[in-house]
Amino acid sequence: MSSDSHTSVCHLPARSGRVRASSAMAGSVLALAGIVASLSPAARAADQQLVISVYGFAQDAFSEIVYKPFEAQCDCELIVETGNSVERLAKLEARKDDPEIDMAVMSTHDALSASRKGITQAIDVSRLSNHGKLYDIAKDPLGDHLGIGYTFYATSIVYRTDKVSIDSWQDLFKEEIKGRVAFPNVSTNQGPPALYMLGKAMGETDSTLAAPIAAVAEHADDIVTFYERSSQVAQLMQQEEILAAPIGRFAWGAYTKMDLPLAWATPSEGQTGGMNVMILTKGAKNEDLAYQFMDFWLSTEIQTALAEALVDSPANAEVEVSDEIAANLTYGADTVSTLDLLAPDIILDNREQWLESWNNSVTQ
Amino acid sequence: MFDNRLEGLALVLPGVLFAALVFLLPVGILLGEGFQGVDGWSLAPYIEFFSSERNRVVFFRTLKLGAMVTVVAAIIGYAAAWSIVSLSPQSRGRMIGLVILPLMISPVARTYAWIVILGRTGIVNQALTTIGLSDEPIRFLFTETAVFIGLLQLFLPLMILSLCSALENMPDDAVPAARVLGANSLQVFWKVILPLTREGLVIGGTLVFTGSLTAFITPAILGGSKVLMLETLLYQRVTVANDFASASIIAMILIVMSFCANLLLKRLATARASR
Repeated sequence: MSSDSHTSVCHLPARSGRVRASSAMAGSVLALAGIVASLSPAARAADQQLVISVYGFAQDAFSEIVYKPFEAQCDCELIVETGNSVERLAKLEARKDDPEIDMAVMSTHDALSASRKGITQAIDVSRLSNHGKLYDIAKDPLGDHLGIGYTFYATSIVYRTDKVSIDSWQDLFKEEIKGRVAFPNVSTNQGPPALYMLGKAMGETDSTLAAPIAAVAEHADDIVTFYERSSQVAQLMQQEEILAAPIGRFAWGAYTKMDLPLAWATPSEGQTGGMNVMILTKGAKNEDLAYQFMDFWLSTEIQTALAEALVDSPANAEVEVSDEIAANLTYGADTVSTLDLLAPDIILDNREQWLESWNNSVTQ
Repeated sequence: MFDNRLEGLALVLPGVLFAALVFLLPVGILLGEGFQGVDGWSLAPYIEFFSSERNRVVFFRTLKLGAMVTVVAAIIGYAAAWSIVSLSPQSRGRMIGLVILPLMISPVARTYAWIVILGRTGIVNQALTTIGLSDEPIRFLFTETAVFIGLLQLFLPLMILSLCSALENMPDDAVPAARVLGANSLQVFWKVILPLTREGLVIGGTLVFTGSLTAFITPAILGGSKVLMLETLLYQRVTVANDFASASIIAMILIVMSFCANLLLKRLATARASR
């Protein structure tokens, strides 16, 4: 990435005179050691530490709503590691035998992958006082309490109501929006669910997703881009580059602020989506704190605060929010019950093959 | 400067140790991974890499865009550098300042600006539709054209600066002398300016070509997954598939391409000079 970095060159004044080799070396080593030492974080005094691994999204809000209040309550230090799912999962796997991370949040299929790799352990839900308050689909989405759902989202299509009407997932290929559609890349969390619904609209619910991938490949030239980040879609919509795109409901907030006639489609085939779960690492060094933290995050108070900040839709069924907030979330028992989610094992078992057939036919 | 070699070596040692430990060793390990076959060292991973049609498409696209950016940057660069060195020293300084200015702005900011400029409602499309060159907005974003424009804008200053310094070092009377002897403009350029500025062209060309191969932000933002280049493919292999083996193969290919480009440019320059 030579183009994206700047190199600074420093010129040392030439020194004449005798320089003793040993003292020069000692000096340089000392200086290096000093620099290295100044870069490492100062040791903190807190007795107990809890290390969590989370998505990089909305960390400012999480810090205010979840992390700081929890630290105040537990008298412990919370160390937060962020990153995308692949990086975080790779790190968890690398430290499987001596885990530094106590609890993590991830998508259901990544959590299933983690449990198959022996990274996670079953969660004893009797230690979570708020577990009973969760919607049924969040209570044990992976089986054996290997993950507890803390939020979910719907995935549907955002579209310009003045240019097109979207009543089916197949309407993404309508003539009037040809060349004005963004579609999620198969590698994103939105990709497979969107393809699955497209397949459903075509009458093909085969888990190979062969039919919808072929349909996308056929229309690849009419699709502006296969996006990898939801923030990118908002920008393209704002710029009127695109008129429709499948997105996750968690990104909807950005669209409500745009001065454009936008709507959230309710296609006849239904909406899909995804769920994120909390996992507990096998051999976690701070298990008690991890349980306390999970219970805190699932509590009605915290789930309500996260919902009101439009950060995460609540998995706690006792959360009550205003209609205005609810309209921006995936909220309420009725909505939750209509979500047609791809099962985590289907995603995990087919992911490589989807990527392969997508790469061979859609993007080159 | 030093009384004995040992002292000089001692001074250089921490730097060498640092570079070896945090740069050479990890790079060596990473690149080595690309040669790990099923049973020991082998070239099989490379053969496998190039057997995929998609990888070949990405490889040739990277090569093509890198070459196109270099050639176009050289053409524009010669014109710009020639105009700049023929200015008065004061104006020359100002113009060089203007050339350097974009280098001081983050490539991310510059690339995002292209998204707005090249968009359907951006000034390029507005101009094209206003003067009637196109009935409706043309799609530039997420095409090779967008990546080409972005890379050219990103690296053109490096070419102009290299050529400026080469042209400044050219004897003042070389061009008038060629003129007196009856050479036309093309002959002056081909037989006088080009041979005398080849060093600058080699340096500028290498910087632009290597830069275009290894740029990440520009192809990632302006091309996306529809216009994958080797660098964006590398990133995708690591972040999507956690596939460091492919990533190290791509890294090795990029290094080899950069070296080859430098050797080729040097060869071209010396071939012309020895005529």
